[in-house]
Amino acid sequence: MIEINKLTKSFKGKKVVEDVDIYMDEGESIGLLGPNGAGKSTTISMISSLLKPTSGDVKLNGKSTIKNPAEIRRILGVVPQEIALYEELSAHENLKFFGEIYGVKRNVLEQRIQNVLDMVGLKKRQKELVKTFSGGMKRRVNIAAALLHNPEILILDEPTVGIDPQSRSHILETVKKLNRENGTTVLYTSHYMEEVEQLCERVYIMDHGRVVAAGSKEELLSILSSEDTIQINLSDTNDEVVEKIKSIKNIRRVDETKNGIRIISKKGSNILSDLVHAVESEGIHLTNFQMETPSLEDVFLHLTGRTLRD
Amino acid sequence: MLPVFKAQLKKDIRSPWTVILMIVGSMLLTFIFADTDQQSKIDVPIFSSESNKEEVEEKWELLLNNNQGYSFVVTDEKEARAEVEEGDSEAALQLFDNDYQVIAAADSRAVQLLEDYVHTVFTQEAQLRAAAGSENVEATRNEVDVYLENAPLQMQIESIEGGEVPEHNMILQLLFGITLFLSMFTIGFKVNGVTSDKVSGVWDRMILSPTSKTGMYTGHLFYSFFIGFTQIFIVLVLFHYVLDYDLGYHFGMILTVAAVFAISMVSVSMLITGFVKTPEQFNMIYTSVIPIIPIISGVYMPPGLISNPILLFVADLFPLAHAMEALMDIALFDAGWSEITLPLVLMLLIGVISMGVGVNLVERRKD
Ligand SMILES: Nc1ncnc2c1ncn2[C@@H]1O[C@H](COP(=O)(O)OP(=O)(O)OP(=O)(O)O)[C@@H](O)[C@H]1O
Ligand SMILES: [Mg+2]
Repeated sequence: MIEINKLTKSFKGKKVVEDVDIYMDEGESIGLLGPNGAGKSTTISMISSLLKPTSGDVKLNGKSTIKNPAEIRRILGVVPQEIALYEELSAHENLKFFGEIYGVKRNVLEQRIQNVLDMVGLKKRQKELVKTFSGGMKRRVNIAAALLHNPEILILDEPTVGIDPQSRSHILETVKKLNRENGTTVLYTSHYMEEVEQLCERVYIMDHGRVVAAGSKEELLSILSSEDTIQINLSDTNDEVVEKIKSIKNIRRVDETKNGIRIISKKGSNILSDLVHAVESEGIHLTNFQMETPSLEDVFLHLTGRTLRD
Repeated sequence: MLPVFKAQLKKDIRSPWTVILMIVGSMLLTFIFADTDQQSKIDVPIFSSESNKEEVEEKWELLLNNNQGYSFVVTDEKEARAEVEEGDSEAALQLFDNDYQVIAAADSRAVQLLEDYVHTVFTQEAQLRAAAGSENVEATRNEVDVYLENAPLQMQIESIEGGEVPEHNMILQLLFGITLFLSMFTIGFKVNGVTSDKVSGVWDRMILSPTSKTGMYTGHLFYSFFIGFTQIFIVLVLFHYVLDYDLGYHFGMILTVAAVFAISMVSVSMLITGFVKTPEQFNMIYTSVIPIIPIISGVYMPPGLISNPILLFVADLFPLAHAMEALMDIALFDAGWSEITLPLVLMLLIGVISMGVGVNLVERRKD
C-alpha cells in the first residue's frame, strides 16, 4: 500500500532523516520507535506530504505522492505530536470545524462526530471547552479530529506522551480497535516500547535519522539470541566490584540501572559461580539473581548503546 | 473558506471582549480627546486694585476675551497671586485704568506670548481713544468696525468649488482617527490567527484536508476584515445616529472609505505576519508600530502641522493618512466620488502590494 524508499531530509545541510525505507501493507499495524530527535516526526511529515523530502520517494499503490499528494491526503488521518486544536472552542465545535474542512457531508457530520467522541470516550463532555480539559482528554480530542473522515491509513505521532494511565489505555484500545475491527492501517510512533509491543505487528527502530532495525517483534528479539540478560542486586556496590564483574569471562556488558546491575553475557555461558566469587571477594553479598526474557528495549540498547528515553 | 470563517467567529462569540472593548474605547477616547481640545484655552486670572475696581475689570475683561487662545477670568487679587506662586497659572494680570502689569513666576515663552497679546489689546485701545479724542469711544469703535467690514482691500477665502470654507472640525477628525486607529488593532489581532494556527498545528491539519490554501487564507483574512469593519461601522453608527454627531450627508461614502481602509489594513497586517515566527512576536511588533501611525499621519493635530517631508512620506505608506483625508473631505466638504478616488486607489494599492509580499514571505519560510 505505502512504500517509502531512501527517504532523506536535510535541514541546513544537516541530515536528520537518512535513507529510510519503510513499507506498510493494507490493514497492518506498524510501530516506529526511536528516542527524542531520532527523526520520527520528520519522517511522518514527509509521508503525510507536509514536508518535501530532500531525496527519496513515498509511493501510494505504486504512484509517487510527492508531486501529487491529493490522493494520499484523502485517505490519510494524521494525529500530530502537538495538540492542534482551537482551545477556546468546545470539543464538539472543534470536531465540527475539522469535519467541515475535510468536507464531511453535512447530513452525516453530526453522526460522525458522535461516533468518534464515543470512540475516544468523551461523549459526555463534548460541550466543554478544550482548554479546560486535562492533557489526556486533549490528546483524545486530538485523535478524534483525525478520524472524522474515516481514514484508511492512520498515522499517530506519540499520541500518549505525558498523560494519565487511564487516558493512555483508552487511546491504545481505540487504536487497536480501529486496526482490528475497521481494518485501518496504522503507523504508530512512540518511544514507549511496551505500547508498540502491545499494538504493532512490525516495528521500525530509528536512531540518529536512520532505521537501525526492522521486523516483527520475534525477528527483532532474535537479534539478541546470542545473549542472555541477567539482573542482579548486591548488598552494596562500589567501582571495584563492577570492574571485577566486567572482567569475568563471557560477560559482554555491565550497566548499573536503577533496579540494580544489568549484565549481558554470551548465551548459555554459566557465569553464576564466577559472579558469586567476584562479589564475595569484595566482601559483598549477592541478594538477587534473575535471568530476564529480553524485551525490545534490550534490542534497542544492544543496537544503539542507549536506552530509549535517554 | 467558510468553515475557517465560522470557527474564528465562534471563538470571538465565546469571548467578545476585545471587540467590545475596542468599540467602547473608540468612543471614550474620542470623548476625552475632543473634550480636552475644547478646554485648551489658557486661563489667566485678572484683577485690579484701583478705586473703581469693578469698572476697570469689567471693561478689560470684555476687550481681552475677544480671542481664541486665552480666557481671562476676574479673580480676587490674593487668589490670583497665589495661583501664580503655586504654578496653577502661568501668569496673572493686574489691570489699571489704561495700563497693565503681568505677574509671573518665571519669564517663560508662554508668558511672553501672553504679554504680546495683552500689549496689542492695550495699544489698540489707546489708539482708539486717541482717535476718538473728545468724542465717545464706543461710537468710534463702531465706526472702525463698520469701516473694516467694507475696507477697500479685502481678503476672501473660498473653497475650490467656490463655496464657503467650513471651519476645520477637530472633533470630527479625532472621531474618525481614533475609530480607525482602534480598528487597526482588532484587524491585526485577527490576522495574527494565521500565525497562531501555524504554531498550534491547526494550519498543517488544514493543509492535509481538501481545503485549499486560498480557502484557508481567505477564511482568516475575510474574517479579519469583517470584524474590523463591523467595529468601525458600529462606532460610526452610534456617533451619527445615536449621539447625533454631524458626519455630513454621505454616510454611505464614509462606510465605503472605512471598508477600503479595513481591507488595506488586513493586507498591512499580513505583510507584518510575513516577518514573524510566532503570534507573540507579531503582537510585540504590531503594538509598537501601530500607535506611531496616527501620530505621523497627523490625526491628533490640526492639519498642516506636520511638514517634515520624511514623516509625510512614511505616513503615506500606511492607509490611515489616505482614509483620514477621504473621510474629512466627505464629512466637511461634501466631496464627491471623483474627489476621493485617489485616496481610495492609494489604499487599495497599499493593500495589493502588502498582501502579495506578505503571503509570499509566509509561504517562502516553509522549508
Ligand atoms: N524545521 C527544522 N529545522 C531544523 N531542524 C529540525 C527541524 N525539524 C526537526 N529538526 C531536527 O531534526 C531532528 C529530528 O527531529 P524530529 O522531530 O523528527 O525527531 P523525533 O524523533 O520526532 O523526536 P521526538 O521524540 O522528540 O518527537 C532533531 O534534531 C530536530 O532538532
Ligand atoms: Mg517527534
